[in-house]
Amino acid sequence: MSNNAMVSRVENDTVLVLERVFNAPRELVFKMFKEAEHLKHWWGPRGWELPVCNVDFRPGGVWHYCMKCVDQNQGQFYGMESWGKAVYKEIVEGEKIVYQDFFSDAEGGTNEALPSTIVTMEFIEEGGRTKLVNRGEYVSAEALKTVMDMGMLQGITETWNRLEEHLDEVK
Amino acid sequence: MPGKRPGVDMTMLSALAEPNRLNIVELLRDGPLTVGEIADRLGLRQPQASKHLKVLSDSGIVEVKAEANRRIYKLRSEPFEALDAWLRPFRRVMEERFDSLDDYLQQLLDKEKEKS
Repeated sequence: MSNNAMVSRVENDTVLVLERVFNAPRELVFKMFKEAEHLKHWWGPRGWELPVCNVDFRPGGVWHYCMKCVDQNQGQFYGMESWGKAVYKEIVEGEKIVYQDFFSDAEGGTNEALPSTIVTMEFIEEGGRTKLVNRGEYVSAEALKTVMDMGMLQGITETWNRLEEHLDEVK
Repeated sequence: MPGKRPGVDMTMLSALAEPNRLNIVELLRDGPLTVGEIADRLGLRQPQASKHLKVLSDSGIVEVKAEANRRIYKLRSEPFEALDAWLRPFRRVMEERFDSLDDYLQQLLDKEKEKS
């Protein structure tokens, strides 16, 4: 693994921006987001696999996937399935992907109770390397701020330790 | 709870965002308490504490159990699990993903090199 750290910042109160440089050509990095066979290798968080990953890569197309926790050390999450659904809004081959991210279920429905996010990914060529800029727009400044304010709540469970890491770095 | 996700909504998030209620939640981490005990420890008047406890209970963060003539409040774990699930798309998950992507790209590039 290379030592390219992820940079994060908040823009306009509601946009969480994450940047990361990859030591690979832009076309290759783009391809990783485009093809199910590639996504399966890395999209799941640590200890989570993607038993289902259906990609219809075109504007209006749907990407429906299931993340399943296969790591026994994750306690209550072990065996848990988490379904995600993205609807592509804009695609510029090799350069940009815009999609709306929803919580979903096995049937591909969307969970309206949970906030959806508009995600814009830009792939920028940097001398043979690729800078990926990931912008997540939250429903409101309040939604994002509330998440950050919760940094005050430390250590309720393991959960909070991880949340804290997140919050400290976003501050 | 395979296949099922407990809900997080704005009601729960705004319930937690109020400083007195955060203090109550932190206090209850150490164990269940009565409204009187909560008010005492936080220096709140009892009606004030009750008001906050009602908000926390309406949003599912705490539950109340009647024991003899006392009402005892305790934290429910579900909302915090839900919150964790909800937070997954945020930074931590993306960072893990990007690390995995980095490794995977390296593998692909190494394979290509071997071929040529």
